[in-house]
Amino acid sequence: MFVRDKLGRTMNAEGNRNIEGSVGHLFDGSVLSVAAAGELTSPLVLMRQLGLAVGADNISDGERKLLSEQVTLISERALRLTSSLNMTAVSQQVLPLEPVNPLSVCREVIHELTPMFSAYGRKITLQSRARVPLMVANRNVLQRILLAFGDNALFYGSEKHPIQMAITGRGDRVRIGVRDYGPAVPIDMWSQLEGRVSRRALAPLSSRPQASGVGLITAQRLAEKMDSVVGLVRHRDGATFYVDLNVSGQMSLL
Amino acid sequence: MSDNKSVMVIESEPWLGDHYQRQLESQGFSVMRASHAYAAIDLVDENPPSAIVMSLLLDGPGALNLLHELQSYTDTADIPVIVCSSMTDLDIDELRPYGVRQIINSTVMQPHDIVATVRSVLL
Repeated sequence: MFVRDKLGRTMNAEGNRNIEGSVGHLFDGSVLSVAAAGELTSPLVLMRQLGLAVGADNISDGERKLLSEQVTLISERALRLTSSLNMTAVSQQVLPLEPVNPLSVCREVIHELTPMFSAYGRKITLQSRARVPLMVANRNVLQRILLAFGDNALFYGSEKHPIQMAITGRGDRVRIGVRDYGPAVPIDMWSQLEGRVSRRALAPLSSRPQASGVGLITAQRLAEKMDSVVGLVRHRDGATFYVDLNVSGQMSLL
Repeated sequence: MSDNKSVMVIESEPWLGDHYQRQLESQGFSVMRASHAYAAIDLVDENPPSAIVMSLLLDGPGALNLLHELQSYTDTADIPVIVCSSMTDLDIDELRPYGVRQIINSTVMQPHDIVATVRSVLL
């Protein structure tokens, strides 16, 4: 049971704050591009340093192989962001929707993220009932959103506390959430993101320096193209970023 | 030059921290690692380093909070700090009161720059 306040925030019985995102439509492509350039600086800096290290004379073959793998994984993470940004820029209209099995999409996303998580000594798991209803979504867009959530959570889990992707039914909606165990997210996170990106102030969210939130804004914009909602639940020890989608009624017609 | 000095690397991105550590250890420095401000304070209390190399973007309390904390105690205020950052608009004069002695622009730095800069602040 959720109670909604004047700011659109809701709180459940456990006291977890639920905050829906609603900022993506405020940004034009150029503002988001500038923000994305800032977001991509960190992986590019890391790739450059690792690339220079690969070329050094005083490293073993094993170290060289490890560094090469790290360069590949970092570049794949950066490319996930650029692909999502490209999708938001190119597709201005609502994208074609179809009945989608959330379990299969989540499994694909976890399969794609697992090498990166493993390389950082992290783990990502899927929690779901064996049978979940089909939902109305654009499969490709939904993957992009969940990949953004996963990349956002990368540094905020451990072997002991794996990042959890969970599918839950909520009446005529299906929620897919990604739970992390990172520092607290500000209660006005979405408006902070709005302000920072609009001002082209590329500093990351307070206490979470690994991402400026561009990936989350991108996810929010992509969700709009599916007529769905992205939001977050603040926990005492982390956050859950989620996307809500409508259950498909197609099967019930059979 | 044999450097039996300890350097604390404070970096949230573990692979970048590994990279700095490799460079420093290859030149004889002993390296302590911290990924956030709390861990850094604990390590500094246990074993004050000769110098600190740090990012400005840290998990949890920010880098300026950490720098302020270090400046608040006489036994840590004199530890030279090197900021390694991709933020290109940093002004050393603004950071000097926080104990920052050098800024390295990580977008153009070469691997040996970190060792050279640590040596320069330890002279």
